[in-house]
Amino acid sequence: MIASIARKEFIAALRDGRVMWSAAIFAVMLIAALASAAQRYADISQERAAAQAIVNEQWQNQGEKNPHAAAHYGVYAFKAVTPLSFFDTGVSSFTGVSIWLEAHKQNMAEGEPARDATAIARFGELTGAFTLQMLLPLLVILLAFASFAGEREQGTLRQVLAMGVSPLDLLFGKALGAAAAVGLFIAPIMVLGLIGLAMAPDGLAFFGNGMVVAALYIIYAVIFLFLTLAVSAAADSSRTALVVMVAFWAVSSVALPKAASDAARLVHDTPTAIAFQRAVAADLETGVDGKSLDAQVNERREATLRLYKVDAVEKLPINFQGIVLGLQEQMSNAVFDKHFGQLNGLMLRQQGIFEAMSALSPRLAVQLASMELSGTSLGAHLDFAAQAEAYRRNLIDTMNKAMTMNSSGANPEYRAGPELWGQVGPFNFTHPGLTASLSKLGPSFMVMFLWLVASVIAAVMAVRKLKALIA
Amino acid sequence: MFGIVFRQELKVLFANRTWWAILGLLVALTVLAALNGQARFAQMQATAAQLNQDEATTQNALKATVERYEKNPTGDPPSVSSPGNVGLSILGHYAVMAHDALAPLSVGQSDVQPFYYRVTAHPPHTFLNASEIQNPLNQMSGSFDVAFVVIFVLPILIIAVTFDLMSREKEAGVLALLAAQGVPLRTLILAKTAARAGIILAVLLALVALSAALIGADLSAPETAAKLALWFGVIAAYAFFWFALALLINAMNWPSVTNGVVLANLWLFFVVVLPSVVNVVAGTLYPAPSRVELTTEMREATELADKEAAESRESYLFDHPELAGAGANLDNFYIQVLATDAAVEKVVTPIMAEFDAQAAKREGVVDLLQYTSPAIAAQQALNALAGTGNERFKNFTDQVLAFHGDWRGYFTSKIIKGERMTAAAFDAIPAFAYTAPGFGLAQTAVDGPLLFMFVVGLILVLWAIRRYARYPVV
Repeated sequence: MIASIARKEFIAALRDGRVMWSAAIFAVMLIAALASAAQRYADISQERAAAQAIVNEQWQNQGEKNPHAAAHYGVYAFKAVTPLSFFDTGVSSFTGVSIWLEAHKQNMAEGEPARDATAIARFGELTGAFTLQMLLPLLVILLAFASFAGEREQGTLRQVLAMGVSPLDLLFGKALGAAAAVGLFIAPIMVLGLIGLAMAPDGLAFFGNGMVVAALYIIYAVIFLFLTLAVSAAADSSRTALVVMVAFWAVSSVALPKAASDAARLVHDTPTAIAFQRAVAADLETGVDGKSLDAQVNERREATLRLYKVDAVEKLPINFQGIVLGLQEQMSNAVFDKHFGQLNGLMLRQQGIFEAMSALSPRLAVQLASMELSGTSLGAHLDFAAQAEAYRRNLIDTMNKAMTMNSSGANPEYRAGPELWGQVGPFNFTHPGLTASLSKLGPSFMVMFLWLVASVIAAVMAVRKLKALIA
Repeated sequence: MFGIVFRQELKVLFANRTWWAILGLLVALTVLAALNGQARFAQMQATAAQLNQDEATTQNALKATVERYEKNPTGDPPSVSSPGNVGLSILGHYAVMAHDALAPLSVGQSDVQPFYYRVTAHPPHTFLNASEIQNPLNQMSGSFDVAFVVIFVLPILIIAVTFDLMSREKEAGVLALLAAQGVPLRTLILAKTAARAGIILAVLLALVALSAALIGADLSAPETAAKLALWFGVIAAYAFFWFALALLINAMNWPSVTNGVVLANLWLFFVVVLPSVVNVVAGTLYPAPSRVELTTEMREATELADKEAAESRESYLFDHPELAGAGANLDNFYIQVLATDAAVEKVVTPIMAEFDAQAAKREGVVDLLQYTSPAIAAQQALNALAGTGNERFKNFTDQVLAFHGDWRGYFTSKIIKGERMTAAAFDAIPAFAYTAPGFGLAQTAVDGPLLFMFVVGLILVLWAIRRYARYPVV
């Protein structure tokens, strides 16, 4: 019975000009978005890789220098993009693309693309993810809002129920038919998209992510399908069903994410750049543990002199200045860890507000999950910054040690060369794999699962109380 | 007849609970949005005040050190009497943009574009890139401001109260009865629409006044009052467009449900789809130069400059012969810094100009294509009135660049001439004074959209009226 209901719904959908036009426009937009994503990925990944190569080469060929001068010269870390970066641009328009790694300082990422965009970019970027998050639910709503209410208005619902068709069969048959109609448009595009992903450079590494993303959007569409069917069954007219669903869509998909961002700022406000810099500067003076650099240097000088059994720094076989730089670095790293740790913590707590509010908005849930899996989430950006910082610390540490060990009273004019520069190795941002991404997605998955269960239960309950006649 | 229907509709609407709920929602959302915008800008103002205060403290401390030395000049002069040390290392000047009175109504680009820069004697690219700390997640989602309520929510509410204006009467069989009583169709539909539009407009007018009060806008300032009046004009024209569209869709003689579907799709098209498409078009036609390439090119230039520091110094003085006075006491280190800066600036300036040129062309595309969607037109106009559009920040950056010329000139001339920073010299350091662009900048950005929405609305109304001539009542 379910199969024949599904077949009827499927055919009816295909014959409905409204639905077909909407679906065709949707399909065109999705294809255009995916094609442009593939192009942008090819361009941008190449550009970033080329820039990273240039910077690495500049580092390697900087000539002979005092290692500390090299540390001041530093390198740039560029954020490599993932094959899914332009399917879902996530927060990446608002995050910098490169970080300067230099001695004594942990810098923030620079070059946010949003600074170079017009104000209309704020309406939303035309990406595959945006199309699926915003337009797919509306397509589903248009397809399904009249499922029960419309049949009731035409009087066919009464006939069908009089024939002894179980309301549950009717529900799942209609769901299946509508899903088949939407699937007719979406499934080939999704398959093509996944094939394109597999063929893109690095694509296979993200194929698992792509599969999960595709599955998430299917679940997202199913949630809206059952919600619409529930409302259609319960509403007194198809008109009401349409208004209720469009209103729900607008509030949950458009208004709530904005409200979430303001709520996040109100609850966990981040410091201004100036306040942050001042706090860092203040702690750099005194040290996190209240032990000033001078005190630490004196302590270490005594210990080093004792160790080498000499009475003056000049008589040491090593360069004490290198040790001082190392201490300074240790101290400033502790300060950076404290302040960047607090800042990142605040931002992640703000993300927690978004996660909490996704309980009211399936779009927010799917959005957070989609950008996490695409490597364009806040977390991915913080990962990039963390990897760049770890690389910086290793680089500076290598320079300071070389200075300590090689330039001494006997060899004051020590200059390091390419062998030392080569010891540091090139910077490569490695994106956390699928498992790491999935482990962060507990809240979003839970919310989506609950929405799915709730929408099915709501639909089942609504059809159980299905009224055949207009009240 | 119009009057009778109009009054009757008002009576019906006042008794309708859904209608009150929709108006209540509009009021509640606007109040929330206004308070939210107010809180955001109050915070920015607090930041700005702090900047100027700290700036003064630092500068006074430097001056005090020099003063102490001037009273008792024993030993070497303090390092802060070196103009290079002050202008290139210690001191910066915060150039701060003051926000317009209406800024809290539309956050616009103010969460993306900086409203202050720390100007130093180094080239502009060294400080123009700095940005405020923001959670990118918040920027991505955007802010819940009054402009959002107007652009996104208001049309939905208008559609909700108009999509079945005529179709419902027909479906209920009332239309035939009314027609039989000799009520002209056009009078009926126009009166029904006018009743709804009248109430909504009255509410919007009240809301504009209320939000102005909530954000503390000083209406005794004629410019603010004029901008607020234009703000209401834009909202009214935008609402007029959506009412006109609904009027036309109702004239198509489709069932209510079809009207609803079509209007929802049109909303989606104008408010969501077209802006994202126009954004792609503008970005594809005139993409910004690559910031990634800029980074690597700057680095190469810096290195080259360092290597050729000596020659650069010569050429720097060659370029600025007026500065190399006879017997000038050159502070070698800072001269070298200036030379390196100049070499990097030579590379960066054309690229920065390219950024600006492309940005201007992109804005040009948007200025033109805003006439494809009233939502884009309304956004551009509201941002312009609030002073939070890109053109406003560009104007600010231009002022900062001009100021940077003065500030840098003040220090470089001292560095090259080998002068010291005296206590009096600290008082003579140029200070930035922001001049808000005149009413004209906002006005030019508003006139087009305002006229466009009004004319399109009018055309839709006329078209609808024509169609109602052939509207079957049964």
